[in-house]
Amino acid sequence: MRLLAMCVGLCLVFLFVWERVDMVRVGYQVERLKQEKTILERERDQLRVKVSALSAPDRIAKVATERLGMAPPQRGQVIVVQAESLAVPPIQGAPVELRVAKHEPFDVRR
Amino acid sequence: MAAPLRRTRRYVMLLVLLGGFGIVLFRLVTLQVLQAAELTVKADRQHQKTVSLEGARGTIVDRNGKVLAMNLEVPSVFGVPTDVDSPAKTARVLSPVLHVRANELEQKLRQDRRFVWLARKLDPEQGRWFERTRVEGIGVVMEGRRFYPKGPLLSHLLGFSGMDGQGLEGIERRYDTELQGEKRVTVLQRDAKGRTVFSKGQQTEQAPAPGHRLVLTVDEVIQYIVEKELDNAVVRAQAKSGTMIVLEPYSGALLALAVSPRFDPNVLSNLSPDRWRNRALTDAYEPGSTMKAILAAAAIEERVMKPDTLVFGEQGSMAIASTVIHDHEKLGWLTFAQVIQKSSNIGAAKAGIALGDQRLYQYLQAFGFGARTEIDLPGEATGLLKNPKAWGRRTVASVSMGQEVGVTPMQMVTAIAAIANGGQLMKPYVVSEIRDAQDEVMRQILPHVRRRVISPETARAVTRILEGVVTDGTGGKAAISGFRVAGKTGTAQKIDPRTGTYSDSKFVSSFVGYVPADNPRLAMIVVIDEPQGEAWGGAVAAPVFNRVGEQALSYLGVSSPEPVKLALAAGGS
Repeated sequence: MRLLAMCVGLCLVFLFVWERVDMVRVGYQVERLKQEKTILERERDQLRVKVSALSAPDRIAKVATERLGMAPPQRGQVIVVQAESLAVPPIQGAPVELRVAKHEPFDVRR
Repeated sequence: MAAPLRRTRRYVMLLVLLGGFGIVLFRLVTLQVLQAAELTVKADRQHQKTVSLEGARGTIVDRNGKVLAMNLEVPSVFGVPTDVDSPAKTARVLSPVLHVRANELEQKLRQDRRFVWLARKLDPEQGRWFERTRVEGIGVVMEGRRFYPKGPLLSHLLGFSGMDGQGLEGIERRYDTELQGEKRVTVLQRDAKGRTVFSKGQQTEQAPAPGHRLVLTVDEVIQYIVEKELDNAVVRAQAKSGTMIVLEPYSGALLALAVSPRFDPNVLSNLSPDRWRNRALTDAYEPGSTMKAILAAAAIEERVMKPDTLVFGEQGSMAIASTVIHDHEKLGWLTFAQVIQKSSNIGAAKAGIALGDQRLYQYLQAFGFGARTEIDLPGEATGLLKNPKAWGRRTVASVSMGQEVGVTPMQMVTAIAAIANGGQLMKPYVVSEIRDAQDEVMRQILPHVRRRVISPETARAVTRILEGVVTDGTGGKAAISGFRVAGKTGTAQKIDPRTGTYSDSKFVSSFVGYVPADNPRLAMIVVIDEPQGEAWGGAVAAPVFNRVGEQALSYLGVSSPEPVKLALAAGGS
């Protein structure tokens, strides 16, 4: 009986120690992964800036005209054709909901 | 004999042991009780690290989500002079990497300090060298640096931020609070090697939230078209500078704003503030004849004039208040519509006099002159609109033809947009949405009507007159094939600061208008400051309107109302 109690006690001590050691190990792992994530995020942001710089309209125009021998369309070469059913109806008023200013309306006839 | 000796030895041993335990106990009491508080602080200092965390500055994107300004984590290099054995050798090694002169670095490393910055916010490529190489006494920390990937595109509107991430100009300054990332100070536990460790009950440290993302109303492609054409015009005319604004007349949303010459916000060193001033908002100019469009709206709304009212042109010169007003050609009888189309100063002066000081002033105020447009950008000027009490005898005539009044390009385009949209003065705006890090909309900015200035009928009548400016008047070069264009040219003499009178050689040439005239999608203003040679607004500014309008309408997919004639290939028969 006494031996069993000692064994259980020892097991509890080992369990406690194992939990502490494992927590430290996992802590280091989490820290390493966080650093890895930061580096990847940094790399992603750098690539985003690079994509944005490479897709700048003046760069595209330069590449198109100087490297690919393209030219802007001349007058009359671009004709926007809209099907009757798809044509946007003429805007009668503001295209979106408009808020009226709260401050005093200007009365030019005052 | 043996027994007493053994006993003595036992006592000695016992004494030694008791003495040893006594010393340990004394030390224990000293450390754990007497010096407890002091040592706890010391221990905490060794395994706790206080770090200030700062979220990245928010991104700025155009209305299609194209990135215009963004923060990147980049390396900053510091030195600990006390840890550097040979400052001269270290400086020689670092000089080509940091692109800083060796003697400058050496000077810093010889300072009697614990910390010194050697180079801040380097390019990411420069930081790679420090990943591969360790230099004693030299360290690297990551800091946020602002990048403008499109270079000079939209530079006057975006502005820029300072070394410590604070907005200094443009949108960066106006929306600095929204763009700033969260700032937080936190305490981390670290081990003997300085690595962060978790202790029981400690929460995982969340990264601080980045600043909000601004979605602009600006379209990157239209902005590019505007900048390209404006730069060309300024170079062609050998002008001092140029300004162009494109607005959506129904909403007041800004599609493009350009000032030429431009600057690159990534490279600010050696640039004078004059280069980054947003002249579209800060610089008031005498608008000259473009003001006649506003005069026409006021005169027709007040029924002082109708488009077909006859006005005598006085054969090109008219005396008023002991001065003489001239026209650029001798004109006889004209309709009021022709007065605007031919840009007759005498006809405009007569309309202004018929309207009267008070009513003219009130309409100019109603159209937004003499007050800020309240666009969400910093540094806006109010322009100059004197109270009629301070007007001289000639002022009503002068103001009618755009003299003795100072306006900003933003005021003028906002006013013309009011005629374009049927009479409502809109509040121009640049930011349409503010989003958080999770891309949730925090604030949405809707179009805002400030007031109705003229009736839709008056707006239609003025539009027809302004169409005549392009078809039969001074603005022929603004005409866009397949579209009806309404607009007005302006050529204003500048005041010579030396003489205080109007200069004969310095002009401001402008064109303001909208297209398509019957259902406007774009309201635009072009202002060219001090063009050399031919300075007429119709010759210098109107062609820019034409080229930008043509390309922008094509890009926006606005179809021509005129029937499309397709040239079909003849079949072989």
